[in-house]
Parts: sequence; C-alpha cells; structure tokens
Amino acid sequence: MNRALHRLTTLPLSLRLPLLGAAMMLLVGIVASQQVLSALGRVQDARLQELARLHVEGLSVALGPLVLRRDIWEVYDTLDRAAKASAGRRMALTAVADDGGRVLAASDPRQVPIDSAITGFAEGAVALDQLSVGARDETVRLIAPLDYQGRMVGQIVSELDVTDLQTERRHALLFLLLGNSLATLILAGLGYLAMRQMLQPVTTLARHMTGAEGAPQRIAEAEVPRGDGELARLTRTYNGMVDAVSAKAEAERRLAERERFVALGRLSSSLAHEINNPLGGLLNATDTIRNFSDRPDVVRASAALLERGLLHLRDVARVTLEENRLDRQDNHLTRTDFEDIRLLIEPELKRKQQALDWQVTADAAKGVALPAAPLRQIMLNLILNASAAVGHGGQIGLHAMAGDDGFALEVRDTGPGLPEAARARLLSDALLTPGGGVGLRLVRDLVSGLGGRIEHAREDGTTRIRVFFNSMGHGNRDRADA
Amino acid sequence: MMGGLALAAIPLPSLARMPFRLGLTPVFLDNDAEIIERLHQALSTAMDREIELVQRRTYAEVTGLLLTDTLDAAWLCGFPYLQHADALDLLAVPVWQGKPLYRSYLIAARGTQATGLSDLRGATHAFSDPDSNSGYLVTATDLIRMGARAETWFSRSIFAYGHRNVVRAVAEGLVDSGSVDGYVWETLAKVEPELTRGTRVIGKSEWLGFPPVCVGKDAAGNEASRALRQALIGLPESMAGRAALSALQLDGFQEAPAGLFDGIARRMRLLES
Repeated sequence: MNRALHRLTTLPLSLRLPLLGAAMMLLVGIVASQQVLSALGRVQDARLQELARLHVEGLSVALGPLVLRRDIWEVYDTLDRAAKASAGRRMALTAVADDGGRVLAASDPRQVPIDSAITGFAEGAVALDQLSVGARDETVRLIAPLDYQGRMVGQIVSELDVTDLQTERRHALLFLLLGNSLATLILAGLGYLAMRQMLQPVTTLARHMTGAEGAPQRIAEAEVPRGDGELARLTRTYNGMVDAVSAKAEAERRLAERERFVALGRLSSSLAHEINNPLGGLLNATDTIRNFSDRPDVVRASAALLERGLLHLRDVARVTLEENRLDRQDNHLTRTDFEDIRLLIEPELKRKQQALDWQVTADAAKGVALPAAPLRQIMLNLILNASAAVGHGGQIGLHAMAGDDGFALEVRDTGPGLPEAARARLLSDALLTPGGGVGLRLVRDLVSGLGGRIEHAREDGTTRIRVFFNSMGHGNRDRADA
Repeated sequence: MMGGLALAAIPLPSLARMPFRLGLTPVFLDNDAEIIERLHQALSTAMDREIELVQRRTYAEVTGLLLTDTLDAAWLCGFPYLQHADALDLLAVPVWQGKPLYRSYLIAARGTQATGLSDLRGATHAFSDPDSNSGYLVTATDLIRMGARAETWFSRSIFAYGHRNVVRAVAEGLVDSGSVDGYVWETLAKVEPELTRGTRVIGKSEWLGFPPVCVGKDAAGNEASRALRQALIGLPESMAGRAALSALQLDGFQEAPAGLFDGIARRMRLLES
C-alpha cells in the first residue's frame, strides 16, 4: 500500500492529477450508483408491497366467507385459479390458514398440506409494510391477516417470486458499472489531455529548472504562457530568478578572479622588497666586477653572486606570473606548486616576523589528480588568512600529505581563532555579510567544486583548518568543530 | 263463471314463451361449457322449445328447486331421488356402456401405497356431495360395513361439490383419496387424461342405478314432461342429440327399469340404521 502510494507520488504531476480526477469520478460514480440502486430498491419494494397488498385484499374479499365456513375445497379452488391466472408471475405459493393457524388450503397442497401449522410455512415471513425484494433469496414470504366483515378470520401467507426484480437490479448495476466505467474512462482521458495542456507551463518550468547542465535554464519567451495568469507570472518570476542567479554566479566568478589579484596585491610590497633587497647586492656585484675586472677570482665570485641574485629574481617573477596565469586550469598539482606558494608568502611572513612550519611530504602531490590552480588559491588564501590572524611574531603551519584515501591539507595558526562570521563563510552556504571579504567563501566554493570537505578545529590555542579530498575526487560534507 | 271463461279465454303467451327449466347436478362434467351447450341445443331442438339449463353448486339446491317447482325437471342422483321418491317421478335414465348403471370409484393419489378403503385410515378424503350416491353414500356405507364412520375414519374429509373437483383434489395433492362417480372418472380419463393420471382407482362399488332425470309427481304426466322424455329418449335420432350424447360419453336415455335403484336404497337403509 505504502509502496503503491509512494509510486503514485513519484508519478509526474501531469499524470497524477488526471488520475486523481479519474479516482474522484470513480468515487462519485460509485456513490451515484449506490444512490440509484438504493432508489431502485425503494421503488421495487414499493411496487412489491403494492402488488402484495392488492393480492391480499383480493384474496381477503374472495376467501373471507369461504374461510369463515371452513370450505376447504372452495378455498383451494380459489387459490388454484388465482395461481393459474398468475402463472409465472409474482405469487409463487399462497397458503390460507384459519384463525387458529391451521392450514385450510394452499395453492400447492403438497408443499403446504391442509391441517398443517401455518407457522412452518410462515417462517421468515414479514408483514406487508416490511416487504422487501432483498438481494439474496429468490423468494420472499409475506404474512397478512385475512380480514372479513371487520374481523380477522384467518391468515394469508404468500411466497413471492422476486427473481425478475433481482435480475432487474443486477442489470441496473451492470449498466451502471459499464456506463460509469465508460464515462470515467472517457472523462479521465479528456481530463488527462486537458490537465496536460494546462500543466504544460509547469512541465516546461520543471524541465528548465534541471537543464542539460544541471543548472536552471531560462524559458524562452515563446514558451511563456500568454496573459497574466498565475502560470505566466510564475514563468516570468522564474526567468527573473534565473537571470539573478546567472548574474550572481557571474559576479562571484569575477570576484573570485579578482581575489587572486587581491591576494597578490596583499603580497606586492613584500614581493617588491624581495626584488629590491637583492638589487643593492647585485649592483654592488656589478661594481665589483667593473672595479676588479682584472681579478678573475673576484669576477667569478661576483658573477656567481650576480647569478644567484638574478635566479632568485627570476623565481620571484616566475611565481608571480604563474599565480596570474589563466591558462593552467588543466595542470595537476605538483610539488613545485607547494614550493611556489612558499616562495610567494615567505617574504610577507618574514616581514611580519612570523614563523612558518612547512611540512610538505615528498609524495604529498603524488597520485593526487587535483587541478593545481584552485589548490594554489586555497593554500594561498588560507595561509594569508592565518597570517592576518596571528599578527606580528605569530606561528603558522602548513601540512600537506597524501594517503591511500586521498589528499589532506592543514593550515594552522596561533591566532585568536576564527570569528563566527568567518566560520560561517568557510563552513556554510549562509549569505555573505557585507564587509567580511570573500577569501574564505572562495576557499569553500573551490573545495566544494572539487568535491572536497573542510573541517575546522580549535585546539590548545591553535586554529586548524583541514581540507580533504578523497582519492575519487569527492569529499564529504562539511563538519565544523570536528 | 265469467271470470273462469275470461281466464280460460286469455291466451297464455307469457307461459308459452317461458323456457323449460332443466336443473343439472354435478353428476357429469357440468363445468364443460361445450357439453352444456350441446345438450342445450339437442333438447331445445327436440322439444321445439327454449330450454334453460339451471346449475347449482349442490345436489340439495337443485333438488330443493325441483321440489318447489322452480324447476320443471332435474338431472338428479339416485340418492336424492330416493330421498324424495314420494314427491318425484323418474322421467328417464342414461344408458352408459349399454346399461343404465354406473359404479362408484374409490381413488387415491398416484404414488400412494393404499390398495383399498382399509388403507385410508387417517388419510384426508374428498367426497363429492353429501347427497351424492357415488360421491358419498357408497364410501360412507362401505365404512359402516367395516364398522367405522367417515367422520372418524379419515383425519379430514371435505366436500368438493363436483366429481371432477374430487379428481382434481386427489390429483393435485389436496387430499389423499376421494369418492367419485365411476362414469365421470372414466370420461375424464378419455377427455382429460392428464388429470386422471394423477389418480389411481383402488376400489369400485357394485353396479348401481345411473343418476336419473326426475320431475315432480304433479308434473309427471304433463306435456312438457312428456316432451322432455321423448326428447331424451330420442336423442340418438338427431344429429344434435348424437353430438350431445357423444360429448356426454353416453349411449342414450331410456325409461328406468323397475328396481334400478334398489342397490342405492339398500345403502341408504344402512346409512340410516
């Protein structure tokens, strides 16, 4: 039953509503049929009672004096003639008894012998006003007083054949069933078509809500219902919502893009220092080369110094460029990515005199088929967030490792802990509150996009944010304060 | 004198036009309209006079009408004739199977085991008429001979007022047995065999005088009575008469021989004793 109900609820609305309509019609049909049969039953009962009353009254008139005289032959002859006159009709058998309940005669004396007690034949007999066709027995029995000259001189018990009335009722039931079934079928079919037509906008809406890419699609103007009905308004509202969602997604995409530059911007002064600081040494090296050009050992040493300085500058420039490259979406995470991030953030951390505990195992990125760009963005954002949290002289740690069940990244800091708003941005889809920044929410979106999960823990004055990606590239749902 | 002459001079067209009233008891198939009609035609033709056939339910009613001169003649049974022999005269008697005699039959429903009156103790029984010889007197006196009485021998006895009714009562199961005119039963066996098929003759009486046609003693010699006698006896001579006799399954009518009803008289004495 429950399964059937469940199956019914999973049917499309365009099928469920017509089915519901058909079921209601069926119910109405059953109730109406019951009413018709009930009315037919009442009419038949009234007809039967009227006929029986005429029968009893006629017999009373004819038999009254005969019963009074106990004229058995005449009573029998009258009953016999009455029975023959109505052969094949309503009265199947009639017996007449005297006032003592002894049978004087019956239309079939073999069934009801003379002088037998009428009570035997009268078993189950009912009075005239209680006479009913019934549904089971082919005959019903009637018992009525035989009145003559104002007094009861005997009793009449008649067996009435009601098979024709029952057949009539059965035929009526059959016709009702056939008629109702046909009408229900036709109207259900028409109802189905009408409902389907009426629900077409809803079907279109449902189809567009789960479009080919799994994202809501805009409904073409040609498919928007005409007029200003509910469905037209609903479709327009839906299109408005789809537009808003698209606009929001576009805004978020732009925001995320901008966030990368924001992160670099935050590092720019450090990077400038990183470039500027070696420049003095490098210029000194060129002066030394120029001044001591005749001393090959000094020139070699200065050239080596110059080379190291330039290589460092090249690395800084490469990393910076790498972070801004847009064409490396398909590159998988490698150990170099970790080193790049370290190179990017170390000047900033040094500037803030923050200690970095960098633990990246040799095989941290081995066998992990994760795209490099979002992972770099995740690491960079988390470390910058941690750096901002711990303040001057704080401790920051990064631990990346790969296991059998996937890849894990942990960023920890000794800061005061994530405020509630920041946790909401990192761990939930709650609406962003103005002024909070989008870095952590970007982390969340990127992790979710890669099928990963984020855990947050605060232990012994250390804030730990862990990001997991299982080997299949899917993570579990977020778990806060694990 | 003048008055007497006046009366004598007055023609009696009203009397002349009055039909001859012949009473019929259910000694034969009095419910068969065709038989009645054929008899009516035959007698009207033979008597050259309108005949009114008067039917009543009981023998007593017809006998009473005859005794009070309401009827000109009546086809009675030998039993009521003998009961009123001092007031009635025999006009003619039917001839059946060559004799003016018939028998009473004791019949039982087919399928019952009874073989005679002695087996019918406690049964329900149908008599024809309390004034019928074959339909009552014979069985009643047979029981007397057995030392019993009809009122107690049978658990219930009814009068069906008609020999055919007796046959019906037995055949249709209203009663177990019946006393019936043998001539009627035999005739029914020919014309309504489906009726007698439901019955079985388990006893026959001795031959007794056939129910006669009687007139009041006062009218015995009058012209109308003589005309009726001639008409009855002369029935075989006309086509209508033969048709009537054929319908009645009778050979004809004859004058009643002396001592024809002695057998019935003996039974009457037994009943009265």
